[in-house]
Amino acid sequence: MSEVLVQPPAEKKPLLGKKERKLLTDPLSDNNPVTIQVLGICSSLAVTTQMKPTMVMAISVTAVVALSNWVISLMRNAIPSRIRIIVQLTVVSVLVILVDQMLKAYMYDVSKQLSVFVGLIITNCIVMGRLEAYAMGNKPYPSLLDGLGNGFGYGVVILTVAFFRELFGSGKVFGFKVIPDAIYEAGYVNNGLMMIPAGALFVVACYIWIQRSFAKHLEEKE
Amino acid sequence: MSSKGNSGTIVFALLVTTLSAALLAAAATILKPAQDENVLKEKQQNILSLVGLNGANDYKKFEELVQGVVIDEQGSPIKGLEAISLDLASEKKLKTKNPSYKVRYPLYIYKDKEGKVTYLLQMAGVGLWGPVWGYLALDQDGNTVKSAIFDHKGETPGLGAEINTDGFEKQFNNKKVLNDQGQFVSIKVEKGKHDASMPHAVDAISGGTITSNGVSKMLEEDIAFYLKYIQQNSNNKAL
Amino acid sequence: MSTLFLAADLISVFVRSIFIDNMIFAYFLGMCSYLAVSKNVKTALGLGVAVIFVMVITVPLNWLLLNKVLKEGSLAWISPSLAKIDLSFLAFIMFIATIASMTQLVEMLVEKLSPELYGALGIFLPLIAVNCSILGGSLFMQERDYEFAEATVFGLGSGVGWMIAIVAIAAIRMRLRYSDVPAPLKGLGITFILTGLMGIAFMSFLGITL
Repeated sequence: MSEVLVQPPAEKKPLLGKKERKLLTDPLSDNNPVTIQVLGICSSLAVTTQMKPTMVMAISVTAVVALSNWVISLMRNAIPSRIRIIVQLTVVSVLVILVDQMLKAYMYDVSKQLSVFVGLIITNCIVMGRLEAYAMGNKPYPSLLDGLGNGFGYGVVILTVAFFRELFGSGKVFGFKVIPDAIYEAGYVNNGLMMIPAGALFVVACYIWIQRSFAKHLEEKE
Repeated sequence: MSSKGNSGTIVFALLVTTLSAALLAAAATILKPAQDENVLKEKQQNILSLVGLNGANDYKKFEELVQGVVIDEQGSPIKGLEAISLDLASEKKLKTKNPSYKVRYPLYIYKDKEGKVTYLLQMAGVGLWGPVWGYLALDQDGNTVKSAIFDHKGETPGLGAEINTDGFEKQFNNKKVLNDQGQFVSIKVEKGKHDASMPHAVDAISGGTITSNGVSKMLEEDIAFYLKYIQQNSNNKAL
Repeated sequence: MSTLFLAADLISVFVRSIFIDNMIFAYFLGMCSYLAVSKNVKTALGLGVAVIFVMVITVPLNWLLLNKVLKEGSLAWISPSLAKIDLSFLAFIMFIATIASMTQLVEMLVEKLSPELYGALGIFLPLIAVNCSILGGSLFMQERDYEFAEATVFGLGSGVGWMIAIVAIAAIRMRLRYSDVPAPLKGLGITFILTGLMGIAFMSFLGITL
């Protein structure tokens, strides 16, 4: 996937030129980090039983990917290649610790729900994947956009998954009841499958199924 | 990327390390007060919610609303210790490591407008995956439960984690911890149908047996401890 | 009595971390390499062994780091005056540093001892450092407040559980080549569904009373 995104050095351009826009929108569909590049699924599924923590997770990941892309891109010519990975890990860890500390201080409830999964952003493959594939070879500004785009792409998928899991699993959206009591009284019950881990996998599989049915070129051979 | 020698690499590594360390230390120092306040606030809100004080700002008046005491194994108050800063879970952990350790328990006493006393008990135990804890409001008679709340760190969602839902917690209202002879029998969390005729049991969580057992054990150990203090003091006050 | 109790506790942590609390089926940790390296049983087995190895070393190491250096009051063994220092905000970065260096070590060992396996695992060995299940192991150890022995057993169990999961899915995917999967589901999609089904099967272990 790196060939697709590596570009010739950019000349002077408006703030959001065509190429920049592509950087932002590509990861939303054709180059989605989760459903196409198969990255960062680890943490994305465990937190998706409700939309609120998922939203916070998506924002945190976007912030970490974008900022780490930017920082690494700024330093890319100075980093000795022998300690490249450890420097990347350090930058990412520092950012994740900052996010974790902020959540603990200002969004205590959500931080309790996300528990270990905030820490796991460090090993979210999207972050390291973008650093290696993009930030190490591109200028800071496009790298920042690339990070933002990939963060959004991740966010779209996990929010969609969380929407269905919360709707069918507990009859709520963002914590508000949307399925009226009358329907429950008529015999409707929440789908317990959505609450267990396996539910998340089925929802993602359906997402991939639908996405690839519409975009045949994304299908895998094997 | 770079063909610098060892010294270049070392200088770079040192630079990155120093910068990150400085940044993190600064962030931790600046944010620590807000984080500690969150933990304290949650605890205070939990305790106050037992007596129906759910207002968003009630916790700010925590000290005026309830009076905290730390009690020892004989049930007598220990002076000079703040109940709210006592960590019950680590007290109990010290006790399991060293049986001769003297545990201390924090108790909160709430007086309503008519001067009626409610004892607010803090409890700590172990579920399936890790710590479970709870707060329980005991009436002036040292027998009737007014309300209870529970929470957990990592019980299974949909199973053990159900202990902090209303459905489980509401069952405790009006249960008794003493039998007709006035002896302590606690409240058991066990499977089966439970109604008002069974004052000493509540229905367990289906699929959450180990969590339920943990809650049972916690109730038995901790309420017994507090009763020593409550009985000594309510006798004096001649109910 | 107490040693018996301890042994029972350790066995229960071990069994739980393999079956009930499986890194893949219950927490989706280490999914990236799980999906990428599960096309062939032999490679899957190799990666699984490497994960077990790294896990068994890093979880106890990180436990020592956490309980003897980072936690508030944990520096008291050096000097009581250091008891007030709380460095736990450094936990993430210290954990990942331990993991990255241990992975390097495993990589060097594998390269020396089995060049064949090294060739097969290719770029995935360095990726163990960013395998979520490894960091996840250390973070769960911190969150669940394990004792040292429990932490070690937990590391071993989680690694074994992860290996069982990846070997099983690799075996299934090898058979899958001959089945007629709808085109858009091929590859990633069907693997997700299979993992979900396996996860449901693993949930039946919840019924075990330990």
